[in-house]
Amino acid sequence: MIAAARPHVAATLVFAASVLLVLFEAPLWCTAVALGCAAWRIAVSVGWLNPPRAGSWRRLVFVTLTVACVLAVLANFRTLNGLSAGTALLVLMGALKLLESRSRRDDGIVIGVALFMLLAAVLGDQSLLRVPLYLLTVWGACAAIAIIAHPGDALPTRAALRLSARALAMAAPLAAACFLLFPRVSGQFWALQRGQQATTGLSDVMAPGAIGELASEYDPAFRVRFEGSPPPRETLYFRGVVLNSFDGFTWRRARSHTWNPPPLEMLGAPVRYRVTLEPSYRPWLFALDTVARSPRRNVFLAHDRQLTAMDDIDTVTSYDAESYLRTRSTGKLSVAGHRYETRIEGEGNPRTRALALSLRAQSGSDAEYAQRVLQWFQEQRLEYTLDPGPTSVDSVDSTLFDSKRGFCAHFASAYATLMRMADVPAHVVTGYLGGEWNPAGGYLIVRQSDAHAWTEVWLDGHGWTRIDPTSVVEPERLQRGLYDLMPQSMGATAQVLRSAWISRIAHVWDSANQWWQERVVEFNARAQLSFLRNLGIDSPGWQHLGWGFAIALLTWIGWVSLTLRRSVARQRPDRIARAWLAATRKLARVAPARAADEGPIAFARRIGAARPDLAPAVSDVAERYVRLRFGPSSSAPEVLELERAVRRLAA
Amino acid sequence: MTASTPNPTIGALADLDRVILGKPQAVRLALACLIARGHLLIEDVPGVGKTTLAHALAHVLGLAWQRVQFTSDLLPADIIGVSVFDASRGEFSFRKGPIFTQLLLADEVNRASPKTQSALLEAMEERQVSVDVTTYRLPDPFFVVATQNPFEQLGTFRLPESQLDRFLMRISLGYPDAQHERALLAEGDRRDLLPVMKPALSPEGVRDLQAAAQRVHVAPALLEYVQALVASTRQRTDVLLGLSPRAGQGLVRAARAWALLAGRDLVLPEDVQAVFGPVASHRLERTGGAGGADHAAFVSGILRGVPVPV
Repeated sequence: MIAAARPHVAATLVFAASVLLVLFEAPLWCTAVALGCAAWRIAVSVGWLNPPRAGSWRRLVFVTLTVACVLAVLANFRTLNGLSAGTALLVLMGALKLLESRSRRDDGIVIGVALFMLLAAVLGDQSLLRVPLYLLTVWGACAAIAIIAHPGDALPTRAALRLSARALAMAAPLAAACFLLFPRVSGQFWALQRGQQATTGLSDVMAPGAIGELASEYDPAFRVRFEGSPPPRETLYFRGVVLNSFDGFTWRRARSHTWNPPPLEMLGAPVRYRVTLEPSYRPWLFALDTVARSPRRNVFLAHDRQLTAMDDIDTVTSYDAESYLRTRSTGKLSVAGHRYETRIEGEGNPRTRALALSLRAQSGSDAEYAQRVLQWFQEQRLEYTLDPGPTSVDSVDSTLFDSKRGFCAHFASAYATLMRMADVPAHVVTGYLGGEWNPAGGYLIVRQSDAHAWTEVWLDGHGWTRIDPTSVVEPERLQRGLYDLMPQSMGATAQVLRSAWISRIAHVWDSANQWWQERVVEFNARAQLSFLRNLGIDSPGWQHLGWGFAIALLTWIGWVSLTLRRSVARQRPDRIARAWLAATRKLARVAPARAADEGPIAFARRIGAARPDLAPAVSDVAERYVRLRFGPSSSAPEVLELERAVRRLAA
Repeated sequence: MTASTPNPTIGALADLDRVILGKPQAVRLALACLIARGHLLIEDVPGVGKTTLAHALAHVLGLAWQRVQFTSDLLPADIIGVSVFDASRGEFSFRKGPIFTQLLLADEVNRASPKTQSALLEAMEERQVSVDVTTYRLPDPFFVVATQNPFEQLGTFRLPESQLDRFLMRISLGYPDAQHERALLAEGDRRDLLPVMKPALSPEGVRDLQAAAQRVHVAPALLEYVQALVASTRQRTDVLLGLSPRAGQGLVRAARAWALLAGRDLVLPEDVQAVFGPVASHRLERTGGAGGADHAAFVSGILRGVPVPV
């Protein structure tokens, strides 16, 4: 390797590492271009390739390349704004810088760009898994800076790594102080525009078989941490989307249908819990049964108690919710509400209609009818399966009379249809049922495979009542997860993850993640103030944060300067040196001062030549000093003699 | 400040100054180099007295000396010696080459092939010669004074850095000033003086001087200074390769000898500064191949950048 290659290689490697960190933010072609440039740079640095010759054409090539890159990013994103486009631009500009970098300053710029890309990576992904990668990159970047800053390529890599580790360790307290105390802006000012992402989870359209697709997804949908003990498992119905419009085949959510719901009476004590929602790229929030109020700003609580956010959930989002598991509504459903909640478009599913009419005729009340239909479901010995096969256009007829097989979506759809056909208001609710308790973290993990659909029926005197037809077809579903019921539905990954000891590890890892998410990523202004409260400040405010941060900052600066001083500062001059320095200061009045590289005898000779009258005294001082400083031993009386001789010089 | 024993170097220096006119600094450096048990490289144009200096050194120090004129067809055996078959005794016997002497003048060392150069330089480093399976020790003291002409490039083999490192010092004599040149012109060949001069020293005397130089005190503060100087060459951007620890050791050795010549029993920063140029300059390769005339300014620039300890 060429002697001067190491700083270039170090800077380039740091850049390449940062490019890999933003692999999912920047388009693949940007990454390829950047890594190609990095490889070329390393090849040139170590001498495998010849460096480009200087010339005016080169400038032209660079300008062309720069413009081309900007245009390419514009073509890709239609904008230069936002995290993805900005990251892509940063990756490309850093890559171009590699092509023209020669000096130490260029290497510094490359590392600066790399650190900016690290920032972009942190904005893009704050998961715990990424933290070691980020730390390693920062460490490498600092080591590269140390290598570059050291003149003459004299700092070995190992020493650079040690030095930067030490510097980072010293910076850690400041980082902690900034994290805990630096006043935070509420809200996400970094909430930049993101590119389109794949969506997952429930949708607002439910065709037969819809939810079955989710059964094979082991990904968590959200996590719930309860205040106090969690409610019994069979009551863990997390409501999501309420589907209120049926066309004979598909249930949808009709947005236009709103009416004033009758007043609701909350019964019993509320359940309080915190939900941490994984990005679903859809706007729905999930909450147990009847949520008391909208859990956060910009989340809309509809008349049917569905929670909808203003924007799609594209980051991990947490909210505190308060739900009542039992409610009562003694009022009447409005005429409009009754109309909408019983409407069925078209004349499909004739056999179901006939069944509904005959069963309703046998029942005295809506409640009795609802019970009778449930009973009918039980008697029919319907089969609960994830693979019910295709249905005809009359999906409900097909489920109830032909195949007699289905999944929660089929049964919920059939039940609600039977209700509506008998003029009983009903709708389908999709959401999640149950979940997996994480004993390591003390919270519930609700996975996509826990997706479920059930119905809510309006019964006069009770209000909306949850009826889950799946519970009579397959009562086990309420107590156990889907995978326990149907192990064959598990994917290979899920099977491995659910094996005994791996699931224990997975639980610990999940709870570590959850801790990271709750305590670090979501450490916001409110958490800051509650941190201050824990420190014993009664009514904390911005001022306390400011003062706390200022004190921490000053303490840190003091500590660092003391530490550095101890390791860097030269020793204080001793008595011999002080005496000699005093002599040179005095003699600086008669002749030009002693240069830093001027030896004592040379200095004495110069003074002697300039002032022959002083020559003997000066030479005496210099020789005494030389004997003490560079001789084999020095004794206290000799030092005294020197000091005396220096004093005599003054006289 | 003077050493307690009478200083035998004063006589030697006086004799050398009589032969080499107007070059007291170069003469002192050459003598200091030998006292520091180092080999000397004299780089200069022909006719300024390189050979005369080597000759005078050998004579004044009372050493046996040999001169080898290096040419491109010189073979290693021409210097080291050769095993010849002795018919009368029926066995090989080693005929020692000119290297078996106390002071070897290797004239125009850069004219020989790299193979021959390295044979010589190896002997310089080891102070012994191996032929076949036998190792022959070279006499003690053993010095090599090599000369080379820096301006003649045709048909020469430049000594590589690793070989240059074997020479403790590189000095040049330069043209004499007007007054001394006139004296030279008037008096003819200075080497004629040598036979009539009595050697000021003997091989034993040289060995004693070398031992005395070893005893010259080096204070920790001075070692700090040497270390700082060496380290500063490694941090410069205009130097391809800084000084090695071996160069640092050579610097201390040379400074000790220099202090001894000045009659001191302790080394001063001034001593280090005096020998720094000759010890360091041929070991520092500068970036961009810069060198030549401004090399002295470059070396003094390094000295200026490092404060002497107080």
